[in-house]
Amino acid sequence: MLRRALVSPPVLISLIVVLVAATLPLYVSGYVLGLLTIAYYFGVFSMAWDLLFGFANEVNFGPSFLIGLGAYTAGILDSLYQPPIALCVAAGVLAAMIGGLVLALPALRVRGPYFGLTTLVAVLMLQNFVVVAAGLTGGEIGLTIPDVISIDDRVNYWIALGFMAVSGAILYGLTRSPVGLILQASGQDPVQAGALGFNVTKHKLAAFLVSAFFSGLAGALMAFYLGTASVGTFIDVTVGVQVIIGAVLGGRRTILGAVLGAVFLVALGETLRPLGDLATFIVSAAALVVVLFFPAGLLGMVKGAREAT
Amino acid sequence: MAPYETAAARSATLRGALGAASAALALAITQPAWAQDSAPIKIGVIAEAQAVAGSSIPQAAQIAADEINAKGGVDGRKIEIVSYDNHSSSAESVRAFQRAVNEDHVNAVIGSYISEVVLALEPWAGRLKTVFITPGAASDVITQNIAKDYEHNKYTFHGYLTSGALAGLVCDAAKDMLVDGLKMKTAVIMSEDAAWTGPLDAGYEVCLPKIGLKVLDHIRFSPDTTDFTPIFNKIEGQKPDVIITGISHVGTQPTVQWKSQQVPIPMFGISSQATNSTFWKDTNGATEGVIYQGVSGPGVAVTPKTLPFVDAFAKKFGNMPSYAGYTAYDDVYIIVDAIKRAGSLDSDKLVDAMEKTDTVGTIGRIQFLPKGDPHVHGLKTGPGLITGLMLQWQDGKQVNMWPAALANGKLEFPSFVKIASGR
Amino acid sequence: MLFWQILIDGFAISSLYALGATGFTLIFGVTGVLNLSHGAIMVAAAVAAWAASGNFGAGAYVAAIFGIVVALLLALATYYLIVRRLQLSRAVREEEKEIFILTATLLWGIMIQEAIAYLFTNNAKTVLPIVDGVITILGVRTPANEIFTALVCWAAIGGLWLFVNRTLAGKAVLAASMNPRGVALLGIELATVYVGVWAIYGALAGVAGVLLGMFLGVSSYSAGPLTASAFSIVVLGGLGSVSGSLIAAYVVGYLETLTAYLISPAYRAIPALLLLVAVMYVRPRGLLGRR
Repeated sequence: MLRRALVSPPVLISLIVVLVAATLPLYVSGYVLGLLTIAYYFGVFSMAWDLLFGFANEVNFGPSFLIGLGAYTAGILDSLYQPPIALCVAAGVLAAMIGGLVLALPALRVRGPYFGLTTLVAVLMLQNFVVVAAGLTGGEIGLTIPDVISIDDRVNYWIALGFMAVSGAILYGLTRSPVGLILQASGQDPVQAGALGFNVTKHKLAAFLVSAFFSGLAGALMAFYLGTASVGTFIDVTVGVQVIIGAVLGGRRTILGAVLGAVFLVALGETLRPLGDLATFIVSAAALVVVLFFPAGLLGMVKGAREAT
Repeated sequence: MAPYETAAARSATLRGALGAASAALALAITQPAWAQDSAPIKIGVIAEAQAVAGSSIPQAAQIAADEINAKGGVDGRKIEIVSYDNHSSSAESVRAFQRAVNEDHVNAVIGSYISEVVLALEPWAGRLKTVFITPGAASDVITQNIAKDYEHNKYTFHGYLTSGALAGLVCDAAKDMLVDGLKMKTAVIMSEDAAWTGPLDAGYEVCLPKIGLKVLDHIRFSPDTTDFTPIFNKIEGQKPDVIITGISHVGTQPTVQWKSQQVPIPMFGISSQATNSTFWKDTNGATEGVIYQGVSGPGVAVTPKTLPFVDAFAKKFGNMPSYAGYTAYDDVYIIVDAIKRAGSLDSDKLVDAMEKTDTVGTIGRIQFLPKGDPHVHGLKTGPGLITGLMLQWQDGKQVNMWPAALANGKLEFPSFVKIASGR
Repeated sequence: MLFWQILIDGFAISSLYALGATGFTLIFGVTGVLNLSHGAIMVAAAVAAWAASGNFGAGAYVAAIFGIVVALLLALATYYLIVRRLQLSRAVREEEKEIFILTATLLWGIMIQEAIAYLFTNNAKTVLPIVDGVITILGVRTPANEIFTALVCWAAIGGLWLFVNRTLAGKAVLAASMNPRGVALLGIELATVYVGVWAIYGALAGVAGVLLGMFLGVSSYSAGPLTASAFSIVVLGGLGSVSGSLIAAYVVGYLETLTAYLISPAYRAIPALLLLVAVMYVRPRGLLGRR
């Protein structure tokens, strides 16, 4: 089944898209590359979110909690001791996974909207902590991270693209594997899945940890790309909203759609830039329209169309 | 030979031709090669267009550009303002800066009144070798960074008063108005916890005792604070004669609550929002009696350029410029003046020319501190240069109180404020 | 002296929290919707009131009423355009509707917030106070506005109680929150009940917003924290329980005031958040929650 999944149309198309994207630095300006780099990291954020939502059916309203933990831990470690970047990133991932565990424990015990609220509260707590412990975290001004992975636009772009492609492959593969099916079952009908003998809690917890892993990793890498970390770039609720909208726009439960959504959002934001603050309004309105009238999202609509024919 | 072509006439014609030829040659030699290019000179403006203070920046810059263009531009080339809204975000400002230089090819950037944003842009001005001047941020770190690494950071200029300078000017005014005038003896410093208030408060703590005001307490609150009741209660408990303020991010709320609680102690110092002409309406008049530092005031002709600028701004945009508008207007003139003196758009030459700036702006006479000074590229302050003003809101109007030569009113306080003169 | 100060200040802010939370929990209890545009609607009410007196010269009372009407209209818009649309949608599975509504109301809240910032800048605004001056209570000089705020909040909450417990329409609302199907079987049009509840919610949020504007002032940035504070209180008290929300509002209000006075204004929000975390772990359904 995995083999069949590997040569399915979505995978082949994705592969082609990635290859084309890899050639962009040859003819596209550094500024656009920078935009796309951020978009790719957001793509990973959204993919990780989709795993949790689309498959485990858990709405994480604070993906920026995990992202922020990854970014800030990596950044703070670097600003304090300057160990090798890989070590900082690993620490960030570990922190995010621990955060994911801490979040999962109460969340899996409650039903319905409580989980969403728990995740939102987690974001607020992290935000408050960062502001109050300003000596350590740079507070509202932000943290300056001494090292960056590279100052070359193209190198950063390829790193982000490669990372996104690999993450996407792993996450997509996961969802098409037997584990993914169990996860989907646990999400849609936990009672029945439990009756069939599957440990629903264990699988959801695993989904959490995987989502945390990728969120934290992408967060840490993005922090080392920007060279700064601030509440506004990594933790704020608006960051979480952007992640969620990206996934929903692209099509939930598709994993790959999340990347489409993230890139689309960045492109839309950029095109509307001249309008100033009205741009945020329009992007939110557009996202609202999608949620209300096209809840299946871009890729979801394509999938639906194909299944209908 | 034609009948009129006498020898004299011929030599006159020859002289005329030679004269014309030499004039053309002279023109060709003295006119810089770049000026024969007729493309506009672009100045990027990155600002917080939604904020009251920030919205004036691109507007004022445009007024300056229009004035310069109406007079023929710079050697025939027009000034074009390219404006970017950074939504008060450092990350967006950095992107805007990169875009301005790399995509839109601006020759200089005027940017932001928020210290955090300016500090984020400063290294990029160095990396992209582009002249960058801020019309409103106050953090001392901006100029300290230039002093620390001159070669890399020399492209940045601080077109507003540093926090340290502001503290000094507030103290100068306090000495005349509060100590000598009202015989005050004690003060409490109240400021928001932000990058720019660090050096401000440090300056206050040093200069206030020197002028005769004992500092009883020093309260720093989170810029997110919405309920100031506990803060005012704490201050009142210590019974100071005056509250010396350092607020910018907040303004409306503490002022309204000050009045609503009828705190009997006057407020004096830096309150950026109080400089806005809309502040009376924003606070529903609660700002009556608040004394704040500014670089401009309605009807106050700080320099001969001040009032004409205000009139032009009000006519075009329907409201008064914020403090950052005055400096942004001046900054465009500073940049253009430097371009003319340098005869070039090369950033290094522009930096040299800007360092030699000596021009009259709307807020005073503008000169920059030289290389070697700990606040290199900051504005020089003092009598004859820039002193700032101290204004008080009275009955919907901003009335200037200091310096005495520019004063157009007398201090008046609301009934709930108790001035403890000669205690 | 300090004790009385804390008591009185805490009471005023807690009453304000209580009013906001009551509306929020009412909507959830009856319609099952967690309205994440709550804070934005409150801010819109305050800004509308400010604009009415500032730009159009309206008096304090008229401006306040205008603000409340704006909140009412926005609440109804939220219901008709978003909630109803999603509830009736066939493209979204039943289990997912809650999540979609949450996301949609969040986006709607952001839209309102951005519209306010675009039209009026993100500067803080205060609403023209209806009551002015100070009153000295037990040696504490208190702005009369604070007392007014607390009184109006309680009047509104009392009015709601009377409505729910003493009027037929109110009892229908209560019944709908417990058993929608039962209400329908009784021949009462559920849709009418929902519209009624959203209208009441809009009015409550409007009053809370205008009072907040008079007391402390608001800016477009306040929308998010207001929503967060409302649902923190509601979760603490138990989703769906109005009395739970009231108690929780006072707990949170006093915790914040005590922290601001005794520890530092900078750490104001922390203890309440910690309490929320503790409750999430130990008793997720809150103090008086029903599920």
